[in-house]
Parts: sequence; C-alpha cells; structure tokens
Amino acid sequence: MKNEKAAKIIDKALKQGRKTLSEYEAKQVLAAYGIPITKEVLAKDKTALEKGLKKIGFPLVMKGCSADIAHKTEKGLIHVDIRTAAEAKKAFRDILAGMAGYEGGVLMQEMIKGRRELVMGMTRDPQFGPCVMFGLGGIFTEILRDVAFRRAPLEVRDAKEMMQEIKGRKILDAVRGMEAADQKMLVDMLLNVGRIGLDFDSIMEIDLNPVILSGAKPVVVDALMVLK
Amino acid sequence: MSSKTRKTGKADYPPTDYERIFHPKAIAILGVSADENGVGFGTGMLRAIMAMGYEGKIYPVNPKGGTIYGLEIHRKVEDIPGPVDFAVIAVNARYVPESLEACLKIGAAGVEILSSGFSELGTEEGKELERRIQAIAARGIRVVGPNCFGIYCPASGLTLLPGPDLSRETGPVAFVAQSGGMSIDFAHAGKWLGVRFSKMISFGNGADLREAELLHYLARDPETRVISMYIEGIKDGERFFSELAAAASKKPVIVYKGGLSAAGARSVASHTASMGGNRVIWQSILRQAGAVQVNDTEEMAQANLAFAMLPPKAFRGISIVGGGGAIGVTACDTAEAYGIEIPALPPDLQERIGSVLPKPGSSAINPIDVANPFVGPQALKEVLLGAAEDERIDLQIIVSLLFHYKGLARAFGIPIAQAVPYKELTQCVRDVIDRTGKPVIAVLPNMTRGTESMDITELIALTRQEYLSRGIPVFDELHDAIRAISHINNYYGGKIK
Repeated sequence: MKNEKAAKIIDKALKQGRKTLSEYEAKQVLAAYGIPITKEVLAKDKTALEKGLKKIGFPLVMKGCSADIAHKTEKGLIHVDIRTAAEAKKAFRDILAGMAGYEGGVLMQEMIKGRRELVMGMTRDPQFGPCVMFGLGGIFTEILRDVAFRRAPLEVRDAKEMMQEIKGRKILDAVRGMEAADQKMLVDMLLNVGRIGLDFDSIMEIDLNPVILSGAKPVVVDALMVLK
Repeated sequence: MSSKTRKTGKADYPPTDYERIFHPKAIAILGVSADENGVGFGTGMLRAIMAMGYEGKIYPVNPKGGTIYGLEIHRKVEDIPGPVDFAVIAVNARYVPESLEACLKIGAAGVEILSSGFSELGTEEGKELERRIQAIAARGIRVVGPNCFGIYCPASGLTLLPGPDLSRETGPVAFVAQSGGMSIDFAHAGKWLGVRFSKMISFGNGADLREAELLHYLARDPETRVISMYIEGIKDGERFFSELAAAASKKPVIVYKGGLSAAGARSVASHTASMGGNRVIWQSILRQAGAVQVNDTEEMAQANLAFAMLPPKAFRGISIVGGGGAIGVTACDTAEAYGIEIPALPPDLQERIGSVLPKPGSSAINPIDVANPFVGPQALKEVLLGAAEDERIDLQIIVSLLFHYKGLARAFGIPIAQAVPYKELTQCVRDVIDRTGKPVIAVLPNMTRGTESMDITELIALTRQEYLSRGIPVFDELHDAIRAISHINNYYGGKIK
C-alpha cells in the first residue's frame, strides 16, 4: 500500500514540474515509511526561526533547503554546531542571502553526533527496477565506493548480506568504544527504502548520505530524491 | 542446497511438450538443398544429425523434391507420411512464417529456426517477420530461434550447427545462450574437458522460448543437475530474476554475463545511481538470486566440470599433493584468497606419509611436497590415503607435472607415454576415493606446449581421459581447481539465513 502522506508530497512536486524533492520533503517521505530522520523544522521567516530554536534546541545545524539546490556543502549553505540564538540568526541571514533567487527556506535540525557515517540509496535500473544500496557514507562513499546493492523487494537476509558484503563491515561492530550498530533498525531502513522505490515509479534515485550512527541508532541526516 | 528460496511469480507459460522437442522420434528439416553438394544450413544440419547417429525418422523438405543421402525429399511439409515431433527450419526468412504455420498444422511440438533475417537486422521488415513468428507460436508450437544454431541433446542426437562431431554421451549439464557461437564452442570444449550435457539451447533472437522460461523448465528437468547460461541481454528483468532465484534454490545455476560495463549509460544526479552501473547491478542481482557468477568461458567450463563431478557439499579443508614444482606457497596463497584451508597434518600422519616419500626434499605437512615428479602411483596412493585420515580434509588435489618425464623417457630411449604410468596413477587415485569417500581432483599443468612437445600434449590428453573415465575431474592449473571449489563452497555453504 502506497503511503498517502508520501504520495501527497511527491504528487505536489511532480505537478510543479520539479526534478527533485527538497531535503525537507525527502525526509518527510522517509519518515512516512518509518525511516529515522533528524528532528527538523523548515523556517522561512523569523517567527518560524524562533519556534524552531525552541523545538530543536542546541547544538543545531542549519541548511539552505530548496528542491533546486543540490550539493549544499559546496555552496556554503550548511552551518553546523550552532550553539546560541545569535549564531542561529546570523546563519539564517547568511543562508537566505546565499540562496538568493531560489525558492525555499532554512532547514533547522538537531546535530547528530556520531563518528560513523553510512550511506543508503536507491537507483532504478532499467532492467531490474529499484535496487537498494548500502555502504560507507560521507566522503568515503565516493572515495572508497564500498557499497552493496540488492534488488527490491528486499528480504531480511538480503539486507543482512549487504551489511556483510562491504569491506568496511566492521564499522557496524562495537569498535573503539562505540556501540555495535542496531542491525534490526538498519535492516528495516533498507527494506523500507526498497518499498519507497516499489511504491513510487516516479522516484528515480535516492541518496541518504550520511546516515549517521548516533550511538547504536542510525539516523538519516541528509537526503536527496530525484524524480522522473 | 542453497538457502535461497524466494517467492516467485506464477508461471503462465504455454503448455509445452519438451520431451518431443528434445527427444523427437521424427524430425523434419525444411530447407535442405535439392542435391548433396549444398552448403546451406538445412543440408548442413541434415549431414550433422545423420553423422551424430540420430536414431529417429528424418524427413527432408524442399519444394523441388528428389532424394538426398538416400532420403526422400518431400515437396511440402504436409506431404510427410508420418507424425513429426520437431522440425528444423532453414528456409529463407520470408518463407519462415508459412513453414512454421505448416509445422503447426501437422502437429509438431516445436521447431528451431536457423534462418537469419529477422529482428537482428533492425529493419521494419525483419521485425515484422519476427512478430509473425511469435503470433504463430502463440497458437500452439514452440520456437527456438530464429537466428540460432539450435538445440544439442546428446541423448537424442540433435546437434548444433555445424556440429556433426559432438559427444553423444549424455550428462548433467544444461547450457542456455543466445549465442550460437558460444554454444558450439562450449559443446566442443566440454567434449575433451569432461563436461557432459543433458541439453544445450542456443536461442538466438529468442522470439518465443528464451532465458526465463528455459530456466523454469531446466529447474524441473530431471536430466539436468547443473544449469549454466551465457547472457548478453534479457527480455524481462523481474521474471528472469524470479526464475533464476527459483532455479538456483533447486540446483546450481552458473551464469556468465557478457557485455558488462562499469558505468550506467544515463546521466544521473545521485551517488547511488552513479555507483549502480550495469556491472555492479548485474553482479548484485546474480548474487541475490544465489547464482554462481563466472567471468569468462574457461571459468564457466571449469565450474561446470566441478559441479557436475563433485559431490554436492562445501569443501572447507583440502590437501594438496604434488612434487617437483613450487606448489607449496602458491597453493596456500591461492587457497587463502578463496577462503579454503590447507591444514597442517598432525605429526603421526606426517610421519606415516613421510615414510613413503624420498628424502631429502620432501615435506609431509600439507601441502605435501613429494620432492620430485617421479614418485610412483603406489606411493602417491599411500600419501593420499594417509592425508584423508585427517578429518579436517574434505577434498584432495593431486598435481602431476608429467612433462618432466620427457627427460626420463629420452634417457631410456622410450616414448614419454611409455615412461609415465598414467593408467596406474589414475586407478590408484580412484581407489583412494573409493576407500576414503573423499573426492580427489587432478591437476595436470603443461609448461611445454611448443611443437617440439606434441608428445607431452598427447600424454596429458591421454591421462586426462583416464581420469575422466574414472569420474575424476581434471584441471590445467591448481588455481583453476581451487577457484572451481570455491564456487561450490559459495553455493552449498555459508549463506546467511
């Protein structure tokens, strides 16, 4: 069964002729499928900013959020480790200035602490349909390309095999004082990424990168969804 | 068996009498030439099937009539006096639809269409002819082809084009490919490598029967224990995947996918899509379905040989026995790379094995270096019997560097085939297998393949034949043998439940 909340978000973007969902929208789709995301608020004005500060607290991450902007890091639209209201207000102004000409707002989100970054994703193969990816995230995704794919629908053992298959699999173990990753949560996330791919033919690609291990718990920190 | 058993879609394939297709009692060949000097596909196939000693009735067809190789040529398919199970169609492409129609009318179960000139041309005319074939097939006759080399079935004598000299010895391996060239090559290679086929299908354009449905059939075919495929493209990814997974849960399916490219063709925005190119996705799909992936024709043939001749189980620990070469360290390196152990034998077994080996220069630890290539069959038998007593050993490999006998033969002034006790050697190895219940693989490297060493090439071929006739698989190189074992291990063991 297609998730109605996710369908609404996607249909709206399609009607507007957009090729991507904004980070905020993509995460709402993920949340609708039970995938853990950062606590976040989309602020377009100062009132919303104040509300966001109350809701999320510090430290805080603020990002320019628009469906038209990918690769936010390169454009200087990400401010991390914001610890005071004054810093937040400055970041808000800077980001909006940097986004001049783009429709959108400022995404305020809790700062997830964790040294282990994973990646999950989906690509729609012309032959085999939606295929789910799992691997090492953050900057290592492109550098090491240590990833595994499985065709959706995934079974639990497929998700487990993906985690075994990457060379960096030990990152999921209890290492250097860090807890072992919650495997059940990771399995559920991968299965659900596959379900999104099966439910929405209009989603061509998904990147969840990074997925940070906060203690044992994985949380999606950034998300990209590309539409047909 | 593989732990992979996936839910598969309901098979909605047309009812098909495969028995009449693969083991026909009577065949028609449409498109033989009117005289025996013809070089067309029809005449070539007639000659090949006769040379194979096909035992059923053969009805050649040509509108001109006459006789060929003592057989009456019928002017029309409808003139054939008896029932026809299967037909070979080798007429010009534009006459193929009416020929197929005639075969349907006389109640043939299936045909192979060798003719080309269809969708492979990319022309509208070619595509239209192929659509007409599909429309006729849908009314109750199965089609292999067009643009193919047909079916090879050693048990019945059906053969590929141009294969008058393929083996009639039947075996457990089925092979499926679009490519006729790949099929006939593997059929020939199998003959000397010891891979015996249940049936081989080159389906060309695959207008009707093709990869997914053939997998569905072969998974249920009692004559087939091992399925292998060479794939270029597939028609329906979802169906292929579900049939592959279902087949691989029943028996090993060895897949060689040709034409893999690293990058996806389309432009993409995400990291996921940029990393999920054609090669990566195919490899993942095959792994997910529980298929055995191979990367070239040699590896494919070797994997088939191993699956066909070795018991269906994983072999975690092995012993390696050989002498006169650098087998020790290289063997360990290779085995480790494939996750196979070569455990050191316990001291009592080392002592017992050491007592039959020449000294100095030998080592009975495992790999067991017998010091020189001239250690006799009876001593090797004792070595193998001893090593098999270690319960960690699941399988043994004996490496014989027979080419070294050339110098010995020259010194005695005798041919090399007389200097090497190869029949005794192969029988001793067979005795070891029978007594220990643990399989042994033979490796026969040949470092001397020049024209001055044709006698060595012949000796090795003879030795291979003796091994194969005793049910023992033979590989050219130790690496090939260990890689083939690792394919078996990956299939039968170690899957995540």
